[in-house]
Amino acid sequence: MPNEPLLEIKNLKKYFPVKKSSLFDKRRYLMAVDDINLKIRPGETLGIVGESGCGKSTLAKTIARLYEHTSGQIFFKNTEITLLSQKQLQPLRPKIQYIFQDPYESLNPRHTVANILEEPFIIHTDLSPLERKIEVKNLLEKVGLAPDSDQKYPNEFSGGQRQRIGIARAIALKPEILICDEPVSALDVSVQSQIINLLIALQQELNIAILFIAHDLAVVKHISDRIAVMYLGKIVESATSDELFKTPRHPYTQFLLDAIPNPNPAIKRVKRRIQGELPSPIDPAPGCRFQSRCPMATDQCKSLLPELLSLSDKHSVACHHQVDSVGNWSSPWAS
Amino acid sequence: MNFLSPQGQRRLQKFKSLKRGYYSFVLMISLILLSLVAELFVNNRPLVVQYNDQIYFPTYGDILPGTIFGYDYQWETNYKKLESDFVKSQNGNWMIMPIVPFSPFENNFIEGEYPPYPPSISSKHYLGTDMAGRDILARLIYGFRIAILFSLLLLTVTYVIGVSLGAVMGYLGGTFDLVFQRIIEILSNVPILYIIMIVASIITPNFWTLALLLAAFSWMGLTWYMRTETYRENTREYVLAARAIGASNTRIMFKHILPNSVSILVTFFPFSVVSGITALTSLDYLGFGLPSPTPSWGELLQQGTSNLEYQWIAASAVAALSIVLTLVTFIGEAIREAFDPKKYSYYE
Repeated sequence: MPNEPLLEIKNLKKYFPVKKSSLFDKRRYLMAVDDINLKIRPGETLGIVGESGCGKSTLAKTIARLYEHTSGQIFFKNTEITLLSQKQLQPLRPKIQYIFQDPYESLNPRHTVANILEEPFIIHTDLSPLERKIEVKNLLEKVGLAPDSDQKYPNEFSGGQRQRIGIARAIALKPEILICDEPVSALDVSVQSQIINLLIALQQELNIAILFIAHDLAVVKHISDRIAVMYLGKIVESATSDELFKTPRHPYTQFLLDAIPNPNPAIKRVKRRIQGELPSPIDPAPGCRFQSRCPMATDQCKSLLPELLSLSDKHSVACHHQVDSVGNWSSPWAS
Repeated sequence: MNFLSPQGQRRLQKFKSLKRGYYSFVLMISLILLSLVAELFVNNRPLVVQYNDQIYFPTYGDILPGTIFGYDYQWETNYKKLESDFVKSQNGNWMIMPIVPFSPFENNFIEGEYPPYPPSISSKHYLGTDMAGRDILARLIYGFRIAILFSLLLLTVTYVIGVSLGAVMGYLGGTFDLVFQRIIEILSNVPILYIIMIVASIITPNFWTLALLLAAFSWMGLTWYMRTETYRENTREYVLAARAIGASNTRIMFKHILPNSVSILVTFFPFSVVSGITALTSLDYLGFGLPSPTPSWGELLQQGTSNLEYQWIAASAVAALSIVLTLVTFIGEAIREAFDPKKYSYYE
């Protein structure tokens, strides 16, 4: 069934308890991921964007069950993986793989490339050492590294090469979904496109669904079929890639799009900068999360949390102003 | 998985370049290895005996009763008597004695004199004898062997307990960590020496019981380091990566965290050896250590200090102790220097 979602997230929440400054304080929570719903179909790429600290990585880690969720459900092919213990989850692990942001941190410095890439096979298969060695060479070749570099240590590679090792490890057991947590943000711009093209090629070859997280819209646009914009633990807008870039509905998305640098200096653009800092995600004020920085904020925004509502089957947005005026919407920036 | 990471290899290079520590290390290892085959150098059994066209190697193996060499007794041959008989009879029989032809248990009395005998080359007591006429050099060497093996056993047990418990505490955290922290604090405040004295007055401790008793009260120090290291490593992303692959807790702990955190323990190694040796020596000195006549430095020291007029006893024991402890300290220093992170901050 092509329309059956591979991964479905319902009302997922991840709150981190904040250390109390005194014994009598009320326990406060950092709402890193607050009530998120997502669907990913097989082979599809869903991009998630948002600025630093908005909960993107926490979302990714919670989906991969590297963090324990606070509440909500995650279904992987109709199995509710949030109900499984870590042990029960183990056989499913190869299907849901993770690529980390920092390739300098995510590879064990004391393991050779062979050790790193063999590990998934040791844990999940009973291949002989020789077969594993062949698999490792195949993997290295697949991600564009020299097959004879398997006895080297991670510190002998460049950042881009290390990230390729990280990708090789993730695709070792033919995953169905790959969670990429800012896989290119730690890399040079020149290397970023190589890694993204590698991901796209592997996705097509192995038919993997990708959850791609980044804070750079341009990077996400290149790879994603759909994009969800996150702000302070919530998804504020979600649409197909083209739609989002053509008609951004949420003021925050518009700010993000404006921040993409244009390589052509001849094009003059209206410079609009987002004001203020990202507010604290600890016990946020009621109402819209973006109210403190939104130029359009009204009393309604300050009291009522807008829900993510569908404008069409390709586009949903969580903004009071948009839902009020579906159809004859006009950008608040249009002069 | 290679035991030596590139960083480890750099440390080894650095260690080798610190000559004093490195040569102390080489010397110490040779001393330990030589002491393991001390029977070849210090023994009252000859290395080779040729008797009536038969060749015997009495050093290792069962005792050769006197009847083999034409005496009328069933107990072990007195090789010194045999040697002088060979010389007397001149019938082509010969033997080669070790350099120090005394066993550490042998009371060698020179006729007409009371022990202790002073050092002398002609009597082959190169460092003299103790109050009971036993060769001091022999007792020093066998005592060294016992002390170092004791120390290594103690160290192995304390490291195994300390490292594994510390790692589990750091890995699991939470209540387990909290409970064991308190247990360790309590245990750390128990005076070991008194405990051992009490136990020693009830049972006579042997090598194993003494080592285990000491180990039971001295593994605590390591857990702190191990716990902290594990805590730190546990938050690093490669551990998360291993978890994402589906690695079990045991696998993460032993294959991922442990190799990354044990390096700090290497620096403590020489100092643990020292503390093992000193612990045994002081217990022996006080008379609560290994039962006599086990060759022991502490016992020699005790004899020497209570009989200061025979200076050679105390002098050899003190010299031996100082030399070994200095060597180990030099090694410890060099290792610490080689592991000094300030010397190896490379910015990539």
